[in-house]
Amino acid sequence: MESLLVNSVEKNLTQFMFSNAIFLCERLLADFPSEVNLQLLARCYLSNGQPYSAYYILKGSKTPQSRYLFALSCFKLDLLGEAEAALLSTVEQQIPGGAAGHYLLGLIYRYAGRKNSSVEQFRIALSCDPLCWEAYAQLCSLGVAEEASTVFGNVAAQRLQKTHVPQRINFSEGETKDQLIDSDKASKDISVWQTEHVPGENQQDLKVKQLGAEIPPDTDNQRNASSHTNGWDLNTPSPVLPQVLDVPPPMLYKNMRRPEVEGLMSVHGEPRKKFVCEEESSEAPEESRRRRSARIAAKRKIPMFHHSPSESNGVPSLSSMIGKCRIQSSKEATTSGQSINDTGSSVDDEQNSNPRGSSLDPFSLMSGISEMLNLLKILGDGHRSLHMYNCQEALLIYQKLSEKQYNTHWVLMQVGKAYVELQDYFSADSVFTLAHQKYPYALEGMDTYSTVLYHLKEEMRLGYLAQELIAIDRLSPESWCASGNYYSLRKDHEAALKMFRRAIQLNERFTYAHTLCGHELAALEDFEDAERCYRKALSIDTRHYNAWYGLGMTYIHQEKFEFAQHQFQLALQINPRSSVIMCYFGIALHESKRNDEALKMMEKAIVADARNPISKYFKANILANLGDYHKALKVLEELKDSAPQESSVHALLGKIYKQVKLYDKAVLNFGIALDLNPSTSDAVKIKACMERLIVPDELETEEDL
Amino acid sequence: MATESSESEEEGKISGGNEKLILDDDLREMGKNAAWSVSSCKPGNGVNTLRDDNLETYWQSDGLQPHLINIQFQKKVRLQLVALYVDFKLDESYTPSKISVRAGDGFHNLKEVKSVELVKPSGWVSVSLSGTDPRETFVNTFMLQIAMLSNHLNGRDTHIRQIKVYGPRPNPIPRQPFQFTSTEFLAYSTLR
Repeated sequence: MESLLVNSVEKNLTQFMFSNAIFLCERLLADFPSEVNLQLLARCYLSNGQPYSAYYILKGSKTPQSRYLFALSCFKLDLLGEAEAALLSTVEQQIPGGAAGHYLLGLIYRYAGRKNSSVEQFRIALSCDPLCWEAYAQLCSLGVAEEASTVFGNVAAQRLQKTHVPQRINFSEGETKDQLIDSDKASKDISVWQTEHVPGENQQDLKVKQLGAEIPPDTDNQRNASSHTNGWDLNTPSPVLPQVLDVPPPMLYKNMRRPEVEGLMSVHGEPRKKFVCEEESSEAPEESRRRRSARIAAKRKIPMFHHSPSESNGVPSLSSMIGKCRIQSSKEATTSGQSINDTGSSVDDEQNSNPRGSSLDPFSLMSGISEMLNLLKILGDGHRSLHMYNCQEALLIYQKLSEKQYNTHWVLMQVGKAYVELQDYFSADSVFTLAHQKYPYALEGMDTYSTVLYHLKEEMRLGYLAQELIAIDRLSPESWCASGNYYSLRKDHEAALKMFRRAIQLNERFTYAHTLCGHELAALEDFEDAERCYRKALSIDTRHYNAWYGLGMTYIHQEKFEFAQHQFQLALQINPRSSVIMCYFGIALHESKRNDEALKMMEKAIVADARNPISKYFKANILANLGDYHKALKVLEELKDSAPQESSVHALLGKIYKQVKLYDKAVLNFGIALDLNPSTSDAVKIKACMERLIVPDELETEEDL
Repeated sequence: MATESSESEEEGKISGGNEKLILDDDLREMGKNAAWSVSSCKPGNGVNTLRDDNLETYWQSDGLQPHLINIQFQKKVRLQLVALYVDFKLDESYTPSKISVRAGDGFHNLKEVKSVELVKPSGWVSVSLSGTDPRETFVNTFMLQIAMLSNHLNGRDTHIRQIKVYGPRPNPIPRQPFQFTSTEFLAYSTLR
């Protein structure tokens, strides 16, 4: 009965029938209490979103897999100390879960604010498993990532090779229909995906299954239509562990089903290269492997459907489920037929079969590895550049991608963000619009999109976006950020604040929501609370330079110019190319009477971004304040030509002309300024200035008369 | 300035009113940083009802005319518009008729800035504080006093359901003489 229950539970898990799984698992545990079954129940609970249950049942367990699951539950419950203890308390010096375990530990350290430890953990995770992209992304966001070419270079290739090569046995379908398999696999994929959203869980499961393999393999051979089980006896389940590395790859049998031995017995959460169809197998290891690869693939957030419609016989639909970076490119699916070298798609000519698995000969494996690492190198480079705010370079790097990879959501978001950082909101708008059209369900990065629309003053589109996003998912912080931005655009700061607070409630660690809250409070002139919000944002992510900028601005408003300078300096350290920050830094310097430095900073700002009109305007203002009217006029005249519709430019021109007693020009410019629709208070000012100008003329004419 | 009320310039009569308060974009409600007080009130209908954003609740005075609403700021502020929600259909003889808006540094030197007469108002009524001169667009003052000099149908006490006070928005860019108007400048002027 035990194995029957285990298999049922597994099946339920893959089909998302969590309550059934929990029920059956309880029966299982009652009659056959064992550590493995306990882990299975914990998995059920974790899949069902009940980390607290998993926490309680796993408390005190000592086996590595249990400790990993326990640490995971603690992490989800925000019990970072216990999670860390669980991962570290080990007699053997190894962190359970391998790369995934290290990654989890890195996250724990990061959340706890222990930057160096977290960096170390992420680096280890990457060295264990070069495909652990998330670790690299975390390093980038911490600002300490190494060059992608070293991380995803030869060492990585060797690592991948070691862990993949010996275990391959090609698994092909034989008679089973593609569609059946596809659909099965797809459902399994989905199920797996949804069950496993935490990295390393697959790892865990593998281990579970490894141990589970010890359960008498009463093969429910009837399990599925697939009669693969016979082949599986070839497999060497659990005892395998690192020994597998020494096992030479079994021979390839054409037109026969072969079990695929998932080689990754080792501690890496390495995704399987081949995506084997998902016949349910009674063989726990098989299942685990398959599932794990699906999970791993899912972990990479690969969209579930890689069934390229163009698939013909020889094309494995999911051959490229190596867990490429985040989004699986359909390219892989489609080209896998053609590009033999691709991700290890089966090279063999199975006529009617649907070989799903990567090829087993090491050559194509190697080429697959190298291709993937190349892809990761490009993406890693781009991501790193973006986080270093080296945006032009990032854009160039991303251009190197193939068109299909480029048009994936993640990449488009990166490109969009790069444009935003360059203040090129129009290009950003087009990129984001395209991405949103193609992937309306993908909410990540939509908060940045809403900011772009805010800057472009596109009230209608922003409102529409906000409504759309909330309709798609009321529980995602990005949707509420978008609606907050909408209200902010309409100057309804109270409502905007409410929206941003909701976003924070949904995800405490959503840095941007805190910063936006801060902006709104600053607009409401509540500077103390604004400061608090900014500092909260910074406590989550020190490199969020928008928050430093926000702090600087609040200090300027409160006339604490020294403090402001400090904040802007920190912001510039993070993003040395932002001309906006330089502009305000210059203002702070000017107000502190450090005028030379102020002017130098303005120059820097102008050089940094020639299209930014503000830097020139500020420079002219500073020059005028210093009495250097002619230089100021020169700058403004240039500016006027490039931005003829801006009222303030003309107003300032008028003011300066008045100072230099060129009253005609002054009046002319004031007139133009008034025509260009200034705000009411400005209009009053300008009119007042004009009146005072006219009076001396009248006095003159009267005297003449 | 609010555009909805039909105001005849010479006599300062306002009739009608609006369901919704429609304002210019560059106005900002200033009442939050002010201390509000009234000359008298009936228990349960006190000064809070004037600022609770609820049009069902109203302030009811309880004394001699003129009934006064005093708004005191901590520093001199520029004010442009006062908006009142009154409704003849609901309040009939409690609806104010002649209103005088005064400004000054304190109770001792208030001077009338504007005087209007309401004729059967129903909804939001906006009283602009600007004079004809462009230099007089704003009233720069510590204190504003709104005096209800008389009511419709010679009622003794008065009902006001809501009151809002508006002034210009400050320049979001600090330390700059003028505000930016074009999208390009505004886009570059902040980081978000």
